[in-house]
Amino acid sequence: MTLDWSVVWQHREALVAATGTTFLLTIATMVIAVPCGVGVAVLRLYGIAPVRSLATGYVELFRNLPLILVVYWAFYVVPILTGVGLSPLATGLAALALNVTAYNAETFRAGINSIRKGQVEAAMALGMSRAQALRRVVLPQALRRITPVLASTWVSLFKDTSLVSVIAVTELAYVAMQVRAQTFRVLEMLTAMALIYWLLGYPQAKLVDWIQRRYAVNE
Amino acid sequence: MTESVAAPAVPRRDSATILRYRDVVKRFGMLQVLNGISLDVHAGEVVCLIGPSGSGKSTLLRCTNGLESLDGGTIEFEGARLPRDEKALRAMRARMGMVFQSFELFPHLTALQNVAEGPRTVLGMKPAAANARASALLAKVGLADKAASYPAALSGGQQQRVAIARALAMEPDVMLFDEPTSALDPETIGEVLGVMKTLADEGMTMVVVTHEMSFARRVADRVAVFDGGRIIEEGPPAQIFDAPTVGRTRDFLSHLGWAG
Repeated sequence: MTLDWSVVWQHREALVAATGTTFLLTIATMVIAVPCGVGVAVLRLYGIAPVRSLATGYVELFRNLPLILVVYWAFYVVPILTGVGLSPLATGLAALALNVTAYNAETFRAGINSIRKGQVEAAMALGMSRAQALRRVVLPQALRRITPVLASTWVSLFKDTSLVSVIAVTELAYVAMQVRAQTFRVLEMLTAMALIYWLLGYPQAKLVDWIQRRYAVNE
Repeated sequence: MTESVAAPAVPRRDSATILRYRDVVKRFGMLQVLNGISLDVHAGEVVCLIGPSGSGKSTLLRCTNGLESLDGGTIEFEGARLPRDEKALRAMRARMGMVFQSFELFPHLTALQNVAEGPRTVLGMKPAAANARASALLAKVGLADKAASYPAALSGGQQQRVAIARALAMEPDVMLFDEPTSALDPETIGEVLGVMKTLADEGMTMVVVTHEMSFARRVADRVAVFDGGRIIEEGPPAQIFDAPTVGRTRDFLSHLGWAG
């Protein structure tokens, strides 16, 4: 078997652009899913009963559905139900954000619950409202505590963005597969794809480790 | 049995009543923790609450600023009943300082930020003004050089002094101390009691739940002895420690090795 690695170089521009889309999807998903995750967690913890149930239902639904199913569903079913069809990129982003928000909500809920009651009491004894205590005392500590979990969510998400290739979002996996299909260079393209994901993912994981050490709170 | 002493042996510095407890009852499930507590705390007075663990001292303190709700009786702060309304209760809490056994400093903030947090968030002070107030208070508790330290880098005694400064930053009318030295190493207890003594000498109204009998004896204007959710004896320290009239008080004090 002869290998022809030049195929990777020949399609470098498409691959670079696709890598950009992968990053864009990862960042945009997290930009949506972190604040929304906090929101859902707060609703689950402090909301009135019907809101709490709704938030719980949302989390349990999306945590227990395969992401690829959500992607397909958002792409094929939602337009039929609503009559509104979004671009593949927006649809993929929505599916990822729905999924990661559910995970982040659970992470934040655990983080908030891990802050001991005395901290809220100390804040309230100063005259703070529950909302102020949450914002000024509980969330900053919870966020620091769950940084490692958010970080591993980030690294997973970076790879999971490849799932939106099934609806033709031109991210790294989709473009690599397209090149493979056109050139029949299966081994070369799959290896290149693996290398690109790994070389980009590993430093992100390390960076996150460093951020966590740097901003860890000693207690 | 819970009658207060008719003629206080220690002259009160001011007759205004800061806290008035009447027949306070608190239950946790089936357990009745407070069985009708009546007590007055006057302006400038230091009242120490002593008694065995589980006798209700800390619970009374936590009811005082509404961290626990009452199941019966009333608490008045400066002539007004503790409000049920959250917002009004917060305004009242802001005028009571509380110091916890476990310090409860905010670990993500420096000592200075801890002390400035109340003025900034609750009083809406500008950061510069809040920090100036916090600096002055850290100096007052002897920790000017620790302003930039995080709680984890401070000893227990230092953390508790920051916690006192944090409570003082709200310029409270009364300070509530919930066993402030019980979690401390013996060698750092003195520095915290020293700060509390200074506050008392300056005329701060204080309610102190404590097992430090020598502090109660030296600093308190009045001592209330708790047992089984009641005040079994109340009076000036000289009476409580030297001539307790109730048998349970004598038992309690002798258990602590208090020779009188």
